[in-house]
Formats: sequence, structure tokens, C-alpha cells
Amino acid sequence: MKTRIVFAFFILYFSTLSPAIGSTFGAEEFTLDNGLQVVVIPNHRAPVVTHMLWVKAGGADNLPAQSGMAHYFEHLMFKGTKTMAPGDYSKTIKILGGNDNAFTGEDYTAFFESVSVANLPKVMAMEADRFQNLSPPPEHFSSEKSVVLEERRQRTENDPRALFMEQMDAAFFINHPYGTPVIGWMDEIKNYEWNDVKKYYDTWYAPNNMILVVSGDISAQELKPLTQKYYGGLARKNLPARIRPNIPDAQAITDLTLHHPQITQAQYYKLYLAPTEAKNRADSLALQVLVDILSGGPTSRLYKSLVVEQKKAITASLSYNANALDYGTLSIEGTPAQDITPQDLSQLFEEEVKKVITQGVSDAEVKESIQKLEDEAIFARDSLAGPAMIFGQAMATGSSVADIENWPQDIAKITPQDVARVAKTYLDENNPWVRAPINGYLLPAEKPQMQEDINHVRKE
Amino acid sequence: MFEKNRKEKWLILALLFVLALGALLLFWGWNAQAKDAKTKPIQIDEIHKKFLPIQSLKTNSGINIWLVEDHSLPIISVQFLFKGAGTYKDPENKQGLVRLLSNTMDEGAGGYNSQAFQKVLSDNSITLMFNAGRDDFGGSLVTLARHKAKAFDLLALALSAPRFDEEPVSRMRDANISRIQSSMSDPDWMAARLLNDKAFEGHPYAQNSGGTISSLQSITKEDLKLFHKNYLSQDNLLAAVSGDITADEAIKSMDAIFSSLPKTPVTTASVKSTDIKNQNSLFVFEKDIPQTFVEAIVPAFDDKDPDFYALQVMNYIYGGAGFGSRLMESAREKRGLTYGIYSSLLDMDGVDALSISTSTKNESAQEILTIIKDEMIKLSSQKVGQKELSDAKSYITGSMPLALKSTQDLASIALSLQSKGKPTDYLDYYEDKINAVTEDDVLRVAKRILNPEKMMVVLVGKPAAIANAQKIEKLPNVE
Repeated sequence: MKTRIVFAFFILYFSTLSPAIGSTFGAEEFTLDNGLQVVVIPNHRAPVVTHMLWVKAGGADNLPAQSGMAHYFEHLMFKGTKTMAPGDYSKTIKILGGNDNAFTGEDYTAFFESVSVANLPKVMAMEADRFQNLSPPPEHFSSEKSVVLEERRQRTENDPRALFMEQMDAAFFINHPYGTPVIGWMDEIKNYEWNDVKKYYDTWYAPNNMILVVSGDISAQELKPLTQKYYGGLARKNLPARIRPNIPDAQAITDLTLHHPQITQAQYYKLYLAPTEAKNRADSLALQVLVDILSGGPTSRLYKSLVVEQKKAITASLSYNANALDYGTLSIEGTPAQDITPQDLSQLFEEEVKKVITQGVSDAEVKESIQKLEDEAIFARDSLAGPAMIFGQAMATGSSVADIENWPQDIAKITPQDVARVAKTYLDENNPWVRAPINGYLLPAEKPQMQEDINHVRKE
Repeated sequence: MFEKNRKEKWLILALLFVLALGALLLFWGWNAQAKDAKTKPIQIDEIHKKFLPIQSLKTNSGINIWLVEDHSLPIISVQFLFKGAGTYKDPENKQGLVRLLSNTMDEGAGGYNSQAFQKVLSDNSITLMFNAGRDDFGGSLVTLARHKAKAFDLLALALSAPRFDEEPVSRMRDANISRIQSSMSDPDWMAARLLNDKAFEGHPYAQNSGGTISSLQSITKEDLKLFHKNYLSQDNLLAAVSGDITADEAIKSMDAIFSSLPKTPVTTASVKSTDIKNQNSLFVFEKDIPQTFVEAIVPAFDDKDPDFYALQVMNYIYGGAGFGSRLMESAREKRGLTYGIYSSLLDMDGVDALSISTSTKNESAQEILTIIKDEMIKLSSQKVGQKELSDAKSYITGSMPLALKSTQDLASIALSLQSKGKPTDYLDYYEDKINAVTEDDVLRVAKRILNPEKMMVVLVGKPAAIANAQKIEKLPNVE
């Protein structure tokens, strides 16, 4: 790859390597003078690396009436620079024997490439180019809008479950941008103006708003001169404050129902508001243990009780999204067994939740969970891109390298008392934390024979 | 932190998909035939210190094991399959039998009932799974080295003494029925169902490998026991081990796991061959949804054909590459018609094909079909450019190391080579074979394969103005 970016090799390193070698991943971190944070996670299994650049701006940072802008912009990052034709970025990565793509979340946008370590400098040169000189030809603005509209049709409009989850989020996150889908609303995607797109790029794409994570066959010592050479010249910018209003106290439990013609299997959902790992680490780690006790596999409480013993559900799960900037969520999802309504299932989940709120959890349950979670941390290293995902996502939402490295040791300190406390704090719908939960009932369309039944009754 | 989160789940799935694409491409590559490589005998205990050092071992009971040692993490993976014990063996009125077998073999064995078995797996962080392929029945074990003894015991027990207790069997049956009902709101699934039904008409591959709502209800514990007894034997077993284990240990432990299986040869003939049926036909299953899902298929050939490497390269250029492929350039990059369009090679024991899948708004369905055909014609009438060819080769060969991502990958690669009858050092020659493909080779293969008149198409959605469409009123083999 030819690049116009010429940097002197003798640039001084203003920051020093801090070999914060932890026990879990052995990650090292340093920061360039322009504010770019860099994390290296060595893994020498094969001569390959995953390079990920995380920008700390996402769907929740879009301006009003510009929903989905962060995501649309992510697409445009593949549409060429002053020296590179649209689409050539990914083509060049492929010629190098690599894979690349990108994704957008509420709090971040990430670009990644997996290539042989020998080709890493070429990737970094191209990355530096598009982070500074993006210049998509205008005819690509509208064709890429069409692509995003098709993406929305494929992933959301065509999928009643996705459509319903989107509406649940919209109803749940009062006064907060997490209620707006990352991909954006159909009508707003159609109306993006280039000036707004350009403004988005100029505002958020700055080295002091980015994290570089490289995992694979490389050390911090080897990576440091490369980052200095390719990314050292990116200009620091004055970043605006991210506008993230608080969710107000809202005690009303919300119920949402959708009858959809494409649905033949009813589904039950529930969302609770929860703290993030970065904002309240103690509670978040206790919640992670709680969620494992309730929903960590086929012998956990929810599956065992609702599916195996009572036979009232086909699936029953609780998951926890802890890596967000502002608010986390605890999400229940259940498929009712035949002849069970989602409303019945909601009561059964509530009984299990009440049980844990009033009676807590046992020492044995906590001990077993901690062991499992510690083991998961070992398995997490058995991947190339996986560790880069973990670090990027956690750091882009406010956690530190030390938080991630110390996660197993910190999880091990969680006690049954901690778990009981967080169960009470976050799962009690009669005394909710900030915002009461929302129930979602996704149901088949009202059956036509019901109409017949009514007629029948009327005739009589 | 190490758990998947809900909000970004689809984004992570997209990421995994892209990462998997490269690996899949390679997987198909391994199906290819290396003529000169084939004449080299497999040497026991020989270690090839090349792309992937695979050791071929024999246990005391005579079981062949391929091993990839890697001590970088305290993790061990065992992958295995039973050839010819796949879902194509489902009796027509018991479709879903092999799938249900894969769901229930880890639901209690020996003295452990379902919950007890799952609890001991969970308490020792052991992942044990069985899977039902069209041709073969497979399984996978992943464990930390410190729990290996327990893990190997549990696998041996699951293989030799599964219980098929009534509770888990009926629970898994209900889960499958519910899954089918959920799938009825998934156009992607419906299109795949219809494709299998029409492309393999009259062949067991046309059946619903996940079962139908009624067939699942007719499967009994005795059916499961009988299939397990008849088709899971040392005779049709292939196994690979990777990770933190030595050759001596692997020989001993794999012998202990697999020697309890019966030695009785599996007598059934292998799956019969079929061609793609309903060529030059188009079927529509109407659904009132905003986007039409498209599945198309043409006949292809397998690794016994000398042009198989050229087929790999041609598929990459046509639609296998994703970004940069002719289909993606034309449909997405130039016209904005779709979020994605891909072609892939389908290699089953009884049939070989190239399939294409995409989705687009209902009004554009005809336009995208025209692109699929036009790109076929272009590629089969004009030679590819020299750069286009060398770029394709460069990716296919250059991305090989990306397949070595995890302990499990190492065993999977070894197992797939073994399954295709390749030597342990096959991958060392793969690059040369790909690099030998010429523009003429690609053109010749394109002429053979990319023929729109041999194409069968299924559409799910409400496509506008489609000519010569046969309407399907009801999805077959669902209820």
C-alpha cells in the first residue's frame, strides 16, 4: 500500500511502556502523545494479529433526527480516501490474506482487520489514511444509504423479534439515547445530509477519542514504533461532551404487547435497568455471579426449575449487559411451553426472582459460579480476535486494562451476601432501581377463527 | 465481561461471520484433491513441522487418532465423527431422529441422570456437544487440562452408555418443535427449507434434518437406542485431538474413550448420489414481509475432479469473497440493492453444488436475479483479469494461518482433512495447487458450472413481477 503519510522515524516517544503484565491476558498498554490509547495482548500461537481501532462514539451519540448516523458513517469508512478508490480498502486487506470489517454499538464504533503480522504495517498505513483523509465520492452516499436500508429490512423489518426488541428499548430507556436503535429509524436514514456526515467525522474521529487494541503475535515493544510511525501524526481534537442525560426515577412497570402475523411461537421478554461494570464494579461483578447462578447453563436455577422440573417453558434465560457507558440491562427471555401463555411465564419468572430476593443464594452456588467464571477467563484467551473484543468493548465503556486483567481475582471475592444484596437492589420490581422493569409479550396475530367464534356467539 | 451482551449481539455475530468466512473458504479448500500428495503414504508418528504439525497415531485397540500438540494454553479439544451416520439416514416418518440423538446423548449416561450429567460437566467447565450433519454424526469436547481425566470419562460414558431417559428426550423433542415454530417467522430458514426440498427432490437430503412437528412426536427412546447401537461404531469413527496433551497421553486416553464402542462394521451403503433437481425453475413462497430472500443453486463437482482448485478460485471471484466479489460489487457496491450477497460451495457425500444467497427489497427481486445470471454469463464467457486472479489466489493462500485461531480449530482442521481422506501434510501442498490455477482454468470451470439454465431458485417474500414463478402454498416437511 502506498501512503502519502510520511513520518520521521526519530520521533521521540513521550510515553513510556508500562509493562502492566497481568495474570489473565498479559496485556500491555501505552499512550501516544496525541492521546491514542494502545493495548497489546500477546498470543504467539500463529504468526497473525487482529488489529482493532475503537472510536468512542456510537449510536447514542447521534444528534436528534440523525439516528443511525454513527453506523452509516462506519459504512462510509470503506468508501475511499483521496488516494484510494471506494471498496479498495477491503480488497487490499484481502490481497494481503486478511479479513476486515467493522461494527457500531451504542457507545462505540470499531474497525478490525486480521492479517499476518508481517502485513500489519501496511494495514496501519491504510488505517491512518482513512482516519484522516476520508473522501467518498458523492454517488456513493446514496447507494450506501440504500445498503443500510436493506440492512435494516433484513435484520429488523423482516424479523418480528428484532422489531419488538427495538420497541421495547424505545419504551424502556426514558430520556436516554439507548432507546434509539443503532441502525437508526427508517425515515431518518433516508434523510442524512453530507454536511452532517462530514461534521460527525470531524467531531469524533480523533486519536484522543480512540483505543487501538492489537492481539496476536506481537509485543508492545514491537508495536510501539509502528503506532508512532502511522498514528503519531493523527491530530488531537477538542472533543465535545457526550450528551447522555440520566434516566429519571420511573416507578411504573411497563407492559408491551405485539400481535404479529409472522409469529407462530409466542415469546416473553423482560428488561431491568442495571449498573455498568465501569460505574459500579462491585455490584456489577456480584450481578455477573447472580446471573450465572440463575442462568449459566442447563443446571442453573431458571432452566432447571421452569424447563426441566415444571415443564412450563422451552427456554428460560437471564443475561446481563455490563459493558455500556451509562446503563446496563438485565434481560429475561423465555419461550412458553404449549398451553402456557407468556403472561403465565412472566409469573413463573417472577417467582424465581422473588425466591432469590427473599432467600438469597447458597455458599455452594457462589463457589461453583466463581470457579466457572474464572475458567471462562482461561477459555477467553483461546482465540485471536476474542481478547481484542473483550478489551475494546470494556475500555470503550470506561473500564481499565487492570479491571480486565484482575477480573478473575475480583470475581473470586464475591460473597453470597453480595449476590443477595444486588438481587434485592436490581431485581425487585416493587422497589425498582431508577426505572421499573418492562415486560414484553410477543404473540401470534389474533386468530381468524376468533372472529368466527364471535359471529357464532352473536347468532345464538 | 466475558459473556455475550444482548444489545451488540448482532454486531458480534456479524464479526464472527466475517471471521468464519475465511475459515470456511479454507475448509472447502481442504476438500480438494492433491494428486501427488495422495501417493505419499501417511507415516505413523511422523511430525510435519510445517503449516500444521499433525501426528498420526494408533491406539492399542487400533484406533487412528490425529493429534495437533499445542501447549500454549492449558486446554484440550477432542473432535470426532461417525462417517455416514448423518441425518440422511432419518426414516421419512421419523425425520429429526439423528438431530434428536445429538440433543440427547449428553443428557444422561451411566449412573448420571440428565441433571447430574450436566452438573458434573458444568462444575468442571467441560463443554461436550454432539452434532448431526447431513452425512456424518459428530461430537466435540473442550476441557481445561486440569479436568481432562473427568472430561474423557464423561465422553466415554456418553458414547457407550447414553440413557435416553424419558424426561430429557421429551424435553428435547419439545424444544425442537418450538424451534420449528419459531423458524416460521424466519424467512432465511424458510428459504433454506424450500431449497433443500426442491434441489434434492426424491433424495433423503430433501428431508427436514431438524424434523417435522409430527415426525418428532413419533420418535421413541427405542429409535434413539437402535440408531446409536447400529451406527456409532469404531468402524466408522474418525477422531482428532489438539492442545495441551502429549502423544503418549493422547494414545492412552483416546483408546479409553473410544474402545468401548462396538467394533461391528456399519453395513449400510454410503449415501446415493443425486443431481440438482428442478434446474431452470423458480419457486416462490409468498410471505407478507418487506424483503425477499433469495436462494439459488447450480450443480458443481467435488475434489475428485482435477479442476477442483480452479473451482475454489472461481467461486471466490464470483461470490465467495464477500466484499470484492463480482456479485457483491455489482449488487451492493454499485446498486445498493442488498446488505450482502454470497456464493459458496456445497460439498456433501451425495451431491456437489454452488449456492448463492442474498436478500433485497421486494421491488428489486427481479433485478438481483438478473445480476446473479449476468455475472454467471460474464464469468463464463470472458477470462478473468490477471490481477483479479492473482488477488484471489493471494487471499486464499495468504489467509490460511488465520484458520489457526483456537485449540478447537486445530482439531477441526485435522478432522476435516482426515474425513476427506487427505494426508497429514496436505495443507503444505495446498498453496502450490491454488497458485497453479490459470485464467483458462477459471474460464473452463465457469463454463461448466455457471450456467443460468441449470440454476434452481427459491424466493421467500413478496417479490414483485417475477416471470415464470411456481407458487408454493405450503412449506413441505414442516408440520
